[in-house]
Amino acid sequence: MGGLLDLLGGVALIVGALFALLAGIGVHKFRDPFSRMHAAAKSPTLGLVLVTIGAALRIRTFGAIATLTLVAILQLLTSPVGTHLVARAVHLRVKVPQDGVDELERDEAV
Amino acid sequence: MIDVALAITSLAAVLFVARMLRGPALADRVISVDGFVSTIVIGVTVASVRPGSGVVESTVLVVAISGFVGTAILARFIERRGS
Repeated sequence: MGGLLDLLGGVALIVGALFALLAGIGVHKFRDPFSRMHAAAKSPTLGLVLVTIGAALRIRTFGAIATLTLVAILQLLTSPVGTHLVARAVHLRVKVPQDGVDELERDEAV
Repeated sequence: MIDVALAITSLAAVLFVARMLRGPALADRVISVDGFVSTIVIGVTVASVRPGSGVVESTVLVVAISGFVGTAILARFIERRGS
């Protein structure tokens, strides 16, 4: 039982770390700030949730699991808020070439 | 397995730092700082599992909160300063 949980925890840790690597590749390769933000915001959140699940499966004490749950909930709450703040600031201050219609600019012009 | 996860996280951190150094605009640097802090949170969580590393889980909480506050302040900085 303990060995199986350790194995599952290890797999979750590695998959979570791979999501962080995916975010790094995305931020490195994509061409404009909004695409980079898309890579830098979403996949580390899923990666962190997986890593906290893996750590909880490995540590298995009540205090650790409580703290790690708090970390996961906190990241799920703060990551969209922070990304929204940055996206708003970038949209206001940086001219990013867009393929289609810039809907926020169009709505604000009315 | 823990060491493999730590190595992958370090590689991701190197990619974020590379974008932070190159990034044409201030916005790219701020975005990569945000992602870099998320990667550090992941790395500290992995390190807290490793026996004998001396890292406790409460450290993760502190890093996560300070990362969010830092991102919010940097967003305000872009709004005031421009590009």
